Amino acid sequence: MNTEERQLAEMLHRVTPEPPRRVTVEDIAFRLANEAGATREYRLPRGRRGEYREPRAGRREPGGHREPGGSRGPGRPWSRGWAPALAAASVFVIAGASAGIATLATAHHGPATSADGIPTSPASVSSPPATTTTTPSQPSASTGPTWPPEQVAGGMWGAELINRQAFTPGSLAAAPDGHSLYAISQGYLDRINAVTGEVVNEVPYTSPISGFPNRPAVTGTTVWVLTSYSGTSVVLAGYSITTLAPAGTVTVPVTGQVPSQPQGVLASGPDGRLYVAAGTSVAVVDPGTRQVTQRISVPGQVNSLAVNGEKLAVAIGAFQLKVYDLVTGAQIASSSLNFGGAGGNLIATPGGVWGTVGVGMTERVWFAPNADLSQVVMVSQGAGAGLYSAPAYGGGAVWLGGSHTLACANPDTGQVMARTTIPAGNNGVVEYFGSVTVPGSGRVYALYQNQAARQSGVATLTPPAACAVLAPGRRPPGDPPQRGTARPPLPPGPGRTLRGLKPCRPARPNCRVRPLCTPLAAPRAAADPAAFRRRTAARRVPRGGAG
Amino acid sequence: MDGRPSEPDGFRDFVEARSNALLRSGWLLTGDWPSAEDLVQTALAAAWPRWATLTRQDAPELYVRKIMVNTFLRWRQRRWNGEIATGRLPELQAYGDAFAQIDARQALLAALDRLPARQRAVVVLRYFADQTEAQTAEAMGCSVGAVKAHASKALARLRDAPGLAELMTGGVTS
Repeated sequence: MNTEERQLAEMLHRVTPEPPRRVTVEDIAFRLANEAGATREYRLPRGRRGEYREPRAGRREPGGHREPGGSRGPGRPWSRGWAPALAAASVFVIAGASAGIATLATAHHGPATSADGIPTSPASVSSPPATTTTTPSQPSASTGPTWPPEQVAGGMWGAELINRQAFTPGSLAAAPDGHSLYAISQGYLDRINAVTGEVVNEVPYTSPISGFPNRPAVTGTTVWVLTSYSGTSVVLAGYSITTLAPAGTVTVPVTGQVPSQPQGVLASGPDGRLYVAAGTSVAVVDPGTRQVTQRISVPGQVNSLAVNGEKLAVAIGAFQLKVYDLVTGAQIASSSLNFGGAGGNLIATPGGVWGTVGVGMTERVWFAPNADLSQVVMVSQGAGAGLYSAPAYGGGAVWLGGSHTLACANPDTGQVMARTTIPAGNNGVVEYFGSVTVPGSGRVYALYQNQAARQSGVATLTPPAACAVLAPGRRPPGDPPQRGTARPPLPPGPGRTLRGLKPCRPARPNCRVRPLCTPLAAPRAAADPAAFRRRTAARRVPRGGAG
Repeated sequence: MDGRPSEPDGFRDFVEARSNALLRSGWLLTGDWPSAEDLVQTALAAAWPRWATLTRQDAPELYVRKIMVNTFLRWRQRRWNGEIATGRLPELQAYGDAFAQIDARQALLAALDRLPARQRAVVVLRYFADQTEAQTAEAMGCSVGAVKAHASKALARLRDAPGLAELMTGGVTS
């Protein structure tokens, strides 16, 4: 080797990081058993590109990753011969290994119960929480146990817990593809497997905004959180959406002072840019270049913001709602509401702007058609007990949570389409159900906590069909569904989707996979061709009109 | 074990001892940990039934690396290779040690991404796995001359890679 080659070799050894976890013999055994078809009947059909695919059995997520899928690799011919024996052997190997893993994982991610009965974040019992820092930490991968879905007490909208951790209300976000959820627990930002509910990655994180919802913003391949929100600068930290590996930080200079009660000051726009309230201005950040590309000045401290298309809505003071054109930066609309509190937790929908006002039991969720507070409608009662009911927009509906009702509303009109009552907890203990998020997969998730039932975590919901009325295609309200496009009933089991299921393909021979689809009713013409022809002939109008 | 085939002798020791190095090689080849783990698992799964033969030939690691490289080259030819979403973003500035490390890794991966698959494999085997030219040639199924040619071309390309020269002459440690 010459000098250059030695330098290259030394650099490769120096820069190549240590793997987050090691491959074990148990992994290999499980993989062999899996490839041999021992678990074939449990596999789901491979989805199309962009759709979610169930993780392959036997593949743990070391740091969160894609599932390439498909059998590959050499050795397949022999594996068929050895398959049954290896599969049987792997059962013993895995049984022993999983017992050990379960022990470790329970210590780390089990449903530890605090003195007040609420399962606490395992992060809070495994290690001390980190202080707020502007330098994101390296993620830790977890192979915590997956729990069978558990029915939520009261059974609102068929809610089932897929996770048993306590997360900060209002902090649930989702990757666009629906593979991962992100939530803030005590001292950590967690990445959650959207199917199993398992916390697969976590990084030490403490929200600089205490007492108010602070939802992570997902844009592109990065999930962004605020790591500093005070003084003269606002700092965002980005993490990979698949591994929570640090992806970068952005420091945004503050104009004036940041508000004392910020409620929703970070948002990702449909254009892929980040919008962050920085005192008396809103900074637009290009996450690719990590640069502030635009700054929109507003006449007051911005408590909350929301973006919809080319419009930016901000809540100022107590409180004014102002709308700006993102292209020109010009103010489009302004209105005010005297409700004795600041507006917060804004979301923008085609029909207007939603948000909250007030605190505690006086909190209300409002809807301002066309972003005009003079037409404001109080849509829902808030959370109370120090909780906040941050509305969310996803899957074609606006979702309203809190401690009283869980509702979905029409994003165009503000009309509540379906509502369910959250049972009052025993002895006045407040239950909370909110922070609904609907990723691209169409599944509906929410954060839940119930001190009386000692339940908390991420839950999947099966909202009523009324909530899905505008989901795909956005039919206008009142327009009856067209034949053949009506959404079939939601399937049983976890992971319901708001989207209509596709019609079944004809079953392939030797295919034992149960299709996840709903067969559409056979067309009438196919059922009785003669009758169909008679009916259509009777309706036919001759050319030239009936007269 | 009732006649069932048991774990090959020495297999567990090999996995425990070498999986770290194999994973790092896989990371250099593929650029991300999930694919690296997939690559290593594929190679080890293939080596399992042949383990007795491999240990007799005293070359289990060479065989495993050979499978890794061949699997990697085959993956690169697949169409789905172009559909992989990546969590990596270009870093413009380093913030503290953690981000300096990320800068270094991303510069390295960006430089390796410029290489054709076979040149990348030669770089990893020759300069990271410390294989000889003959061993590299055997793992890749080509001649020693071809390995030299690939290495020479790869070095020429890496010379032009932005940020790599600083890394090679010293810089951020992982």
